[in-house]
This record gives sequence, C-alpha cells and structure tokens, in this order.
Amino acid sequence: MRSLAPWLAGAVALAALPVFAPNSFFLHVAILILMWTLLGAAWNVLGGFAGQVSFGHAALFGIGAYVTMILYLKAGVSPWWGIPVGGLVAALASLPIGLVCFRLRGPYFSLATLAVAEIVKLVALNWEAVTNGPVGFLITGLPPLRVFGLAVDWESKLPFYVVAALLALAGLASTAWLRTSRLGAYLVAIRENEDAAEAVGIDTVRAKVMTLALSAFLAGMGGGFYAFYFRYVDPDAVLNISLSMEMVFIAMVGGLGTVGGPLIGAIFLTTVGETVRERFQVGHLIFYGLFMMLAIRYMPEGIWGRARKLFSSLQARVLGHGAA
Amino acid sequence: METFAQSLTSGVLTGALYAMIGIGLTVVFGVMRIINLAHGEMVMLGMFGAFWGQALWKLDPFLSLVLWVPLMFLGGMLLYRLLLRKIIPGGELNTLLYTAGLSLLIANLALFFWTGDYRTINLSYGQEPVRPFGISIAVPLAVAFVVALAITGALWLFLSRTDMGRAIRATSQNGEAAILMGVDVERVAMITFGLGTALAGAAGVLLAPSLYLYPTVGELLIVKCFVIVVLGGLGSVPGAIAGGILLGVVESLGAVYVSSTYKDGIGFVLFLAVLLYRPSGLFGVGK
Amino acid sequence: MALLEIEGLTRTFGGLRAVGDLSFNVGEQEVLGLIGPNGAGKTTVFNLITGYVQPSAGRIRLDGKSVVGLRPHAVARRGIARTFQIVKPFPGLTVKENVTLAAFLRHPARRDAEAFALDVLGRLGLGSRAGDLASQLTLLDQKRLELAKALATGPRLLLLDEPMGGLNPSEVDVASGMVEEIRRGGVTVILVEHVMKAIMRISDRVVVVNQGEKIAEGPPAQVVREPAVLAAYFGKRSA
Repeated sequence: MRSLAPWLAGAVALAALPVFAPNSFFLHVAILILMWTLLGAAWNVLGGFAGQVSFGHAALFGIGAYVTMILYLKAGVSPWWGIPVGGLVAALASLPIGLVCFRLRGPYFSLATLAVAEIVKLVALNWEAVTNGPVGFLITGLPPLRVFGLAVDWESKLPFYVVAALLALAGLASTAWLRTSRLGAYLVAIRENEDAAEAVGIDTVRAKVMTLALSAFLAGMGGGFYAFYFRYVDPDAVLNISLSMEMVFIAMVGGLGTVGGPLIGAIFLTTVGETVRERFQVGHLIFYGLFMMLAIRYMPEGIWGRARKLFSSLQARVLGHGAA
Repeated sequence: METFAQSLTSGVLTGALYAMIGIGLTVVFGVMRIINLAHGEMVMLGMFGAFWGQALWKLDPFLSLVLWVPLMFLGGMLLYRLLLRKIIPGGELNTLLYTAGLSLLIANLALFFWTGDYRTINLSYGQEPVRPFGISIAVPLAVAFVVALAITGALWLFLSRTDMGRAIRATSQNGEAAILMGVDVERVAMITFGLGTALAGAAGVLLAPSLYLYPTVGELLIVKCFVIVVLGGLGSVPGAIAGGILLGVVESLGAVYVSSTYKDGIGFVLFLAVLLYRPSGLFGVGK
Repeated sequence: MALLEIEGLTRTFGGLRAVGDLSFNVGEQEVLGLIGPNGAGKTTVFNLITGYVQPSAGRIRLDGKSVVGLRPHAVARRGIARTFQIVKPFPGLTVKENVTLAAFLRHPARRDAEAFALDVLGRLGLGSRAGDLASQLTLLDQKRLELAKALATGPRLLLLDEPMGGLNPSEVDVASGMVEEIRRGGVTVILVEHVMKAIMRISDRVVVVNQGEKIAEGPPAQVVREPAVLAAYFGKRSA
C-alpha cells in the first residue's frame, strides 16, 4: 500500500497539471520533462542498475524516431502505433548490439557503444533510399483521431502531453518493477562484481542483453515520441552524440540506479536547458557538462539519492529516539 | 597504381598526426588507467590556438607551437591537479563520466564564444603542392608530418633517456611496483597528463592548416583516437604510432577503393572487430 | 565413478604452459588438497574447471558429463561452486543480499532464497552480521561470506582457493572446522591452500603440482615425504 501512494499522487498531479497550466509554453516544458524522464529511465536501467555506461543510446532513440516516421510517411501507420513499434524495432536492433558490445567490460564497453552509435549515424546519413539522407523527414499533419467520441486537436499540446505522461509512467514503472525483481538484483550484482556474479550462477550476458532490450524499447519509444511531437527527423536531430550524453546526464544528476532519479534529473535538465536556451541559444550544453562534473565530484549518488539518504538518516534519528 | 601511391602517401601523412593524438591518450591511460573523453577537445583547442594566433597576432600557425605546447602542458597539469585528482579514486566509470562532462563543457564553451562556423587557415606559402616521385603532397600536411615526427622522436628520447620518462614507463607497466620502488606517482600522473594534453594540442596546431576547424570537431577526433589506441593496444606508445598510421592509410585507401561516404565507418568497423577479437590490440601479446 | 574427472588438462598463455597434461579424479564427498609452490598453476586449474578460462586441451567431467566450454554461471548451475583467493563480495550490498543472490540459483522465489540464505549464514556463524554491508566485514568474516555465497548455490563440488590465507592460527582452526562441517553435509571439496596444518588435517588425499604438472599424489602424510615434492615445494623454501 505504502509503495502505491507516491504513484497515485504522481498520477493525480499529472492529470491535474494541464488544468492549471497557465499557457502552452508551460505545457511544452512539461512535455519535454516527461520525454526526458522516459529517456533518463531508459538509460538508467542499464547504466544505473547494471553499471553498463552506454554512450550509444542516441542510436536506439534515433532508430525509434526513424521507424515511427517512416511507418507513418510510407505505410500510413499512425504514430500512436508507430511509437511502440519503433520501441520494438529498437529493442530488436539492440540484440546484436548487445551481443557484440557486452563481450567488453567497463570503459571498453562504453567505447564500443560510442562506435556503434557513430556507425548508425553514418548509415542514416548515407542510406538515402530509406532514411532520406541528411535531409531527413518532415510531417505536416497528423491523421484525425477520435477518442471517446471527441476529435483530438493536434494543434494543441494536450494530446501530446497525455501520450508523454503515459510514456514517462511506463518508464518509471519499468524501473520500479526492475528494482524489486530478480533480474534487478542480478543487475546490481553485475554492477558490484561481474566475476562474482557469474560465480554464483548468474548468466551475466543474458541479464545484460535483456536489460539492454528493455532500455532500447523505452529509448526507442522516446525517439518515436520525439518524431511525433516535433514532426521532424534527421540524423543530426535524432542521432547526435549529445542525446546520449543528455540521457547520461539525467540519470547521473538525478541519481544512478534509483527509480525517482530520472524524473528529478529531467526536471533539472529541462529547467536549466530552457532557462539558458533563451539567453545563450546552444549554450545549455555548457551547463550540462558543468553540472555533470559538479555532480560526480560532490554528489555522486545524485539529487534523489542524496535526498533519500538525508531522509533515512532523519528518520533513523527520530525513530531512534522514540524506540530506544 | 598512381592513385594507390597517392592515397597511401596521404594516408601515412595524416596517420602520423593521428598517431600523435593517440600517443597522448595512450600514455595517460597507461599511467592513470583513465580514458580521457575530453582528449578530442584538447586537439580542438590546439587548432583554434593556431587559428587565433594567426588571426590576432599574425603568428605563423606552425611557429605558434612554441606558444601553445607549453601552455597546454601547464593547462593539462593544472586540470589534473585541481580537478581530476579528486575524481580518479571514485572508480573508472566515474572518471569516464567526468571527462565526458568536461568534453561537453569545453566543446560548448568554444561553440558559445567562437560560434559553430567552419573556419580555415590560409598560409602565405606553399600554395603549390610539392611533387616528389610524381606524388603530389600538400605543403601544410608535409610540414605537419615532419614536425610530428620530430616531436614523437623527442618524446621517445624523453621516455627512454630521462628519469621522469623512465618513471612514467615504470608506472605504466606496473603501478604498484612503481610505488614500491619509490616513484612519486602523483607527480608522474600530473606530468603525464600535462604531456598528453600538450601532445593533443600540438597535433591540433599541426592539423589546423589542413582541416576545417569548428568547435565540435573533437567529437569526430576522439572516436578516431579510440580506434587508434585500441588498434595499437591501450597504453602502448609504439602501438599508437602503428595504429595511427594504419587508420590514416585505411581511411585514405577506403575512400578511394570502397566508398568515400563510408570512409569513417571503415575505421569504426575495424575498431569493433579489434575490440572483440584482439582486445589487447593488433600488436599486443594476447592474454 | 568419481564425481570429477580431469584428464590431460592443458592451458597455455602465449608461449607459457600454465597447466600441462594434468589428470586427477575426485571422489564423492572427498576432500582433495591441491598444493604446490606459488605460480604452480593451482588457481588456473580452478579457473579452467569453472569456465573462467578455456582449456587448450583436455577433458573435465562432472558425473561423467563434460563441463568444458560452459560459461561460469552454467558451471555453477551444474553444481560446481568456487571461492576466490582474493574475496569478491558485492561490496555495496548487505551480507544477506550477497548470499540471497547466490541462493536464487536453486530458489527462484525471493522468499525461499532469503530463507535459505539466512540458513546458510547461520550455519557459518554469520547470522548476526546479516544486515551489515559486505564491505564492512573483518577478513575472517569476508572469507566466511565468500564461503556462504558458494554454499548458497547448492553445490555438489566446492572449490576453495586459499580460504585460510591471511588468517591467524586460531582462525585457521575455525575455518578448518567449517570445511569439515561442509563435507559432512555431503559436499565434495577441492582445497588449494598454503597453510600445511590445515591441509594435513582436513584433506583425504593431496595432489601436488609444480609448473602446471602433477608431481605427486596420495595421502597427505605420505606425499609430503616424497623427494620430488620436497625438492619442488619445500626444497625451494629451505634453500
């Protein structure tokens, strides 16, 4: 019961937010936060729980974005179907990537994922028949849709907000499930000591590949949502290495291997990003880099991790006096 | 045949400069076991150093080495002393993420101050390529190659003949033994990081007249740099030289005989293959 | 039939032969001491049996079935558990969580795994430390935890790599008692150890290796008197 309470509160807050949203920019920021929560959670299941630092998640995001876009433009599949299909394709693509990269450990794994992302980007740039090369794709309108008899207004932000909220909840719920599952325990064991994990009978490769697939599914859906919301996909926009870095940043600053971390990280990143973007244009990445360095130096457990630690020490102090 | 000789030559010339970047990354890895993701940004700073030296003070790009190399050396030492030293005990993944943050910071500061425009450096000399044996070689690349050889040679002498050089090699081969032998590992690490940064900066200065320069060029260079050091075996200086030249040649021949669009991809595929099948490098002794 | 059969086991690293044409058997519920000077290849033998290193040649069979080519987790599933000479706990987890992870191998449900983990911890005298972080244990307790993790996988054969290394004489007695207890529980043990007192006390049989090859085999009291063993093993020390 206790563990359900924050979820209920969160769902109510999410449902209430658009009612109180003062303007569409506010809603736009909320949508970005939710999208980045999903992406941070996607990276976190692999990087935070299993300790496998990927610098290549932009590739999975990009695959999801391209698949959703191409399905819509070339096969007429609506984005709300295209998003989960994009996630599935990204998850499928992650299997060979995982089998190759997971033969390596630690920093070598990270470098291999970086190379994979660069290869995917090169393919997107050059395989013009499918990806339209550097130009990419643009959609002008979305197909009409009726939900409970009401026509959806694609010019307002609200429908996107609903989709983003559902996706973010899916990301957070997967993380919460992972935390209590056996797979989650295996991942922590792998992070702590991979040889010892094998010694006690954990199939480390299988656990990592499965987690990467879950991570890829979430990241791919994030990419699909991006395509759907911004209505625009090209290699620079959806396969840029800085996207991978932003996912790392969110999980790192929010709290590696925690459930709430990606949400906190996404709020922080988006707020900083949007505040700075108005004044400095592309300068927001300066602050991402700076905050990442500061977080690793002074708060390696992240904002959420630090808050939880403070809370439990406070709790121990209060309860300690009462019980003793 | 002529095309082959031509692209082989330009591959070797570019490769020597790649090698210099690779050496910088590999010595730092050897001594500190850290992979510096901001290494590409150090090269970028060297490139812009050459550019601004010429634009502001009419400094010859190649001569500006005398100014930038010592500055980069000091900067690298300070960076280690003030920032990295406190991060390294936190583990290799934390260090990797920290240098990722640093890379983001430097690249985007450069983007902010210098904008994303592509720039070039024009030399007042060497407009006409030299043509030994009928192969045409661009003068800036030829000069860069000769200087890179000289710098690499000097580094070799430093590592093999001086006490500090020997201490660096000892720490690289066996850190614990070096501590037991009384090597001041802190100092060695600081000087090594300075050295790695200076080499990256020098390579940047030398490459500047031959390449387009823009603030995020480091991203491309760092990935190439990984290819080089992984080919040669992380931590090995001769390996980095061989890896650099190999990558230069593969790219140059690949562009002619395979596909110019997938030129960069050839390197990455090679990189993955080596990581998987020969993780100690093409020339390393398998373990 | 022997529980573990090793035949012609060989492994070379580059040009170096770490283990050469090694053959020996271990019977059900036996305690076999594997001894030899430093660098004789004992840990490599463990790595070969448990799949961390693949053999260049030779056969390894558990209960008549080959385990060559299996990855370490699959070897553990077949019933071979091991400890590491330098202990490898999951440092950021509690003692109970460490052992529960191992117990998952035979007890997929978390509740069962936790109950079994607490049972193993109790048997090894670690019950009172169940809630402590693994990184905060004393050396003796870390060695106990290493043993507890191996036992929690429900092995038939247990490979112990220098479990007494670094312990003081009274702790060695405690540890020896634990190994005997484990054997009474029906588990076969191969023990790599430098502490001769422990080897003499608890092994039924000893295999001596030097430079990767077997130079003697037999009851401990008899083997330590063989000239080849004295020359390779003890000779080096007294010289």
